[in-house]
Amino acid sequence: MIPAPFEYYKANSTDEALKLIRDFGEEAKFLAGGQSLIPMMKVRFARPTKLIDISKVQELRYISLDGDYIKIGGLTTHRELEKSSIIIEKIPVLAHCAHEIADIQIRNVGTIGGSLAHADPSADYPPVVLALNAVIVAKSIAQEREIPINDFFLEAFTAELRPDELLVEIKIPVMKPNEKAAYIKIGHPATGFSVVNCAVKITLDKEKIEKARVAFGGFVTVPYLDEKVGEFLIGKPANIDTITQASELVAEGREVIGDYYADADYRRHLAKSVFVRVMKKALEI
Amino acid sequence: MKYIGKEVSRVDGVAKVTGMAKYAAEFQLKNTAYGYIVQSTCPKGTILKIDTSEAEKLPGVLKIYTHLNTPKSKSQSGFVALQSDRILFNGQPVALVIAETFEQARYAAQLIQIEYKTEPFNTELEKAEPKPARSAKVRGNPKKAFEESPVKIVAEYTIPIEHHNPIEPHAAIAAWEGDSLTIFVKTQGVKDMQNHLAQSFGIAKEQVHVISPFVGGAFGSALNPHYYPFLAAMAARDLKRPVKLSYTRRQMFTGHGYRPYTWQKVSIGATEDGKLQSIIHEAITNSSSFEDFIEASNNYGRSLYNCPNYDTPYRIAKLDLPTPTWMRAPGMVSGAFALECALDELAYKLKIDPLELRLINYAETDPDTGKPFSSKALRECYIKGAELFGWKNRKFEPRSMRDGRWLVGWGMATGIWGAFMLPASVKITYKADNTAYVESATSDIGPGTYTVITIIAAEFLGLPIEKVKFSLGDSQMPDAPLQGGSFTTASVGTAAQGAALQIKQKFLELARKSDPVFSNINQEEVEMSEGYLRLKTEPSKAISISELMQKNGLKEITETYTARPSSERQKYTTMAHGAQFVEVKADEELGIIKVTRVVETTATGRVINKKTSHSQEIGGVVWGIGMALQEATEIDHRYGRMITTDLATYHFPVNADIHEVITEFVEENDTIVNPLGIKGMGELCMVGIPAAVANAVFHATGKRIRQLPITPDKLFD
Repeated sequence: MIPAPFEYYKANSTDEALKLIRDFGEEAKFLAGGQSLIPMMKVRFARPTKLIDISKVQELRYISLDGDYIKIGGLTTHRELEKSSIIIEKIPVLAHCAHEIADIQIRNVGTIGGSLAHADPSADYPPVVLALNAVIVAKSIAQEREIPINDFFLEAFTAELRPDELLVEIKIPVMKPNEKAAYIKIGHPATGFSVVNCAVKITLDKEKIEKARVAFGGFVTVPYLDEKVGEFLIGKPANIDTITQASELVAEGREVIGDYYADADYRRHLAKSVFVRVMKKALEI
Repeated sequence: MKYIGKEVSRVDGVAKVTGMAKYAAEFQLKNTAYGYIVQSTCPKGTILKIDTSEAEKLPGVLKIYTHLNTPKSKSQSGFVALQSDRILFNGQPVALVIAETFEQARYAAQLIQIEYKTEPFNTELEKAEPKPARSAKVRGNPKKAFEESPVKIVAEYTIPIEHHNPIEPHAAIAAWEGDSLTIFVKTQGVKDMQNHLAQSFGIAKEQVHVISPFVGGAFGSALNPHYYPFLAAMAARDLKRPVKLSYTRRQMFTGHGYRPYTWQKVSIGATEDGKLQSIIHEAITNSSSFEDFIEASNNYGRSLYNCPNYDTPYRIAKLDLPTPTWMRAPGMVSGAFALECALDELAYKLKIDPLELRLINYAETDPDTGKPFSSKALRECYIKGAELFGWKNRKFEPRSMRDGRWLVGWGMATGIWGAFMLPASVKITYKADNTAYVESATSDIGPGTYTVITIIAAEFLGLPIEKVKFSLGDSQMPDAPLQGGSFTTASVGTAAQGAALQIKQKFLELARKSDPVFSNINQEEVEMSEGYLRLKTEPSKAISISELMQKNGLKEITETYTARPSSERQKYTTMAHGAQFVEVKADEELGIIKVTRVVETTATGRVINKKTSHSQEIGGVVWGIGMALQEATEIDHRYGRMITTDLATYHFPVNADIHEVITEFVEENDTIVNPLGIKGMGELCMVGIPAAVANAVFHATGKRIRQLPITPDKLFD
C-alpha cells in the first residue's frame, strides 16, 4: 500500500501546469483531488514517475452561468456541485449525481475534472454528462479545444485527452422547462462504485417524447449513450407502456461485463430495471 | 443471586475503549526486529530457485530465511513453514525477511525472486474424488425407509469457503532468554500454544511463556497455533533479539484456515401427515492435500428430530489449498442450512406450516442415543419466538405477502449446539482488605469471559464486582481449555465457583476455631457477604473476614480448584437449543434482499450476564445474515488462488444491512450440566440463521436458493 517513488511538482496556475506537462510528457500525471489516482498508485496499478499537483489552481474552480450553458471548472469538487445553488436550480440531476459519489470526505476533495479524465466506467458522472450532452474543454500549451461528450469516453479508463492536455472545463446546457432528467445507480455495497447506473434526459412535447438521451455505465467497459433506446422513445407517449417496451432494447447487442459479485446476465437484467426506474423518476410517473 | 443473571457491563470495557487493553502486536520490547512473510504465487510444485541477493543488500535487512537456511522444527505435525522446497498451496510462506524496521522488511520482501516448477493442481471440489472420512453410525434402514415413504424430498446445497475476519490480525512478538521463550501472541488457547512451541523447539513446557491478555476477535481462527509463532520464535532465537511478526489482511486468508467449501445432499422420506421416516444427509467438505480436516456438518439433525432411520455419510475432497479450520458454529451451521431448508421444502410439499412440521417431529428424548436430555426448552423457544414474531399472521403461500413494491417473506429454523464442559482450573487469592484476585489460563476473544468469571467469583465471595480482579491469557496460570466450542463459561465458571466455595470453606474452618456460633455449622449454611461470613438463616450472626485473617496472621489465602464434568452428565444428552424467525423483504426487479426483522429465542441453561449474552446473540444473528447473503471467498481456479482477500471484496454485513434484531432467552434450570446450570451460546446463536433467511427468501419470492450466499443474481437464474 505504498506507491512507487515519484517526483512531486506543485503548479500554481493553469499555465504553469501545462508547461510542466509539456516538458515531462507521458511519464507525468496531473494530481487533482487524488481520489482515484492515489489509491491506484498505492497498489501500483499506476506508477507515474512525476506528479503535477494542480489541486491549488484556484482559477479552475468555479461554477458559472453563461447564456444557455453552465460552465464548471475542472477542479470543482463533487461537494461544491452537490451544494451549488446554480446547479440545484438549473441542472438538479447533476447535483443529485454528485451527492451519490462515495462519501462526504471524498466529495470534499474529489473533482469533476479528475473523475471525467479518469474515465472509470463505473463512475457516477459519465452517464449523467452523456445524457446532458455536455462539452469537455481541454487545454494544452499549444491550443484549447472542445470535445463533444459523445466522443469523449474511448475505453475503460481512457478518455479523449492527449498526454499534454488538461481538462479545464465542462459545459452543460441549462435544462429547459420541458426537459426532464434523472439519475439512478445501483452501487456495489463495499466500494460504492456502480454495478449499473443510468441517466436520462427527456424533452417533452406535451404528452409525447420529443427527444431522449439515455446513457448507461457500470456494466459496460465504456459508458455509452444508448441510441437504440433513445430513438425508440422519440414520438412515443410518455407513459409506462412506452418505458416497458423501451426497456427491452436496453443494452441490446452490447457486450456486458460480469464478475463474481454480479454476473453479466444479472447486470443486463439490472440495466433494464434501472432504466425503468430512472424513466419513471424523470417523468414523475 | 446478586450478580448472576443480571446485566453487568464489561469489566474490561474501559480498558478497551481507552486503548489500555494491549493486543499481541502492541507490546513493546527493546531492540525488536521486524519480520515480513513472502508467499508463494504457485499453487503446487517445487521451488527451483530462490534469489535473495538483492534483498539482502538493502540497509536494515538482518537475515532472510528460506527453506534452505531455516532451522528444522522438532514437531512436523500440521503445516510448518520453510521446512522444504515443496509448495502445497498458493500463498504458502516461502521466505521470511527480518529487518530493523517493518518497512525495510516489507520492501526487501518484494525484491526476492523465486522460480517454481508448477505441477498440475486442483482447487475445485466438483473436480476432486472425495474419500470417505468417518464411519457414521447408521440408524435403522434409511434407504429402505426412504424408498417406502409416500412423500420424498431430495435437494443439494452448497456453501462456499468463508473466512473469519477478526479485526485484529494474527501477530506474535517472540523473545528468548537462554533456552526460555516468552511470546506475546494472538491465541484462543495459551496452553495449546505453549505445548506447540515447546514441541517445536524440543524444550520443556515450563520454558515457554505465552502471554495473550486480549484478543481482538478470533471466531476459531486462533484455535490452531498456525505457522507464524514458530517463525517468530525461530528467528528471535537465531538472531538473539526479539522478533515481531504479523499477518497482513491478505495473509489472514491463507494463514489461519477457513470454513470449508461444503456440498450437502439431503434426502427426506416422510408420511403424509409429516412424520419423518428417513433422513439421509450426505456431506462433502474440502480439506488440504496434507491434512484431513473434518467437521460434523451432516450430524446436525441426529439428536434434534424424531426420525427412526438416519444416515450421515461424510466425505472429504483433498484440494490444493490451505487446510480449513473451525469457524464459528463449525459444522452445525452448515448442516443446519441444508437440513432446515430441506425441512422447509418438505413443509411446502406437505402443505404443513414449517413450525408445525418441527413440532410434529419434536424429540422428547435423544433419538440418537435414547438418553434423556438434561434439559430442553426448545418447545418453549418455538412458542415464545413465534409469539414475539407474530408467526400466526403468516400466510402460507409463497409470494403472498407484500409491503409496497417489496415482497415479504417469513422463514424459520432451529438451532442446536452441544452443552459441553471440559476440565478447567481457577486460582483465587483473597486478601485481608476484602479484594480478590482470580486467575485462569483461559482466553476472552470477545464474548465477555473477563466479565462473567468476575461475576461468578464476586457472587460466591460476596464481594462487589470492582473488588474482584480476574486475569487470564497467560500460560503460567492454572490450566484451562482453549476458548472454543462454547464451553468456556461452563468449564472455567464452574471452577471459579468451586474455588470461591473452597475459600469460604477455609474461612469457615477458621471461624469455627474462634467463634462457637460456627462450630457446628456446615458450608451450605453460611455465605460470604461484604467481607463477612454469615449464617444464611440468621444474618446478624456474622464474623468479619479481615479480622479473622488478622487474628490468624494471614494477609491472604489462596485456593485453586479444578472443575471436571460430572459422571452424572454421561446419563444424559446435554444440548442447548434455539429457534429463529426471520423476515426478509425482496425487491423483485433488482433481486435485493433485506433482512428486516429477526427474532431469536434461545434456551441455554442459566444466563450469567444478560447484557453480554444479548450482545453475543445479536452478533451471531448478524454473522448468520452475512453467511446467508454475503460471505464468500472466491478462488480463481486458473491459479488456485483466493482472490477476495481484503475487506473491500470479502463482504459481510455493515450497520446498514442490519435492521431489527430481538434476542430472548428461555431459561432452563439444569444442574446436570454443571452446578450453575451453564450451557454455551456463542455458536448456537448463529446456527439456524442462514437457513431461516433462505426459507424466508423462498416464502417471499417462491425461489428456492440452495447455494450460499443468496446474492441478487441467483434470484434470476
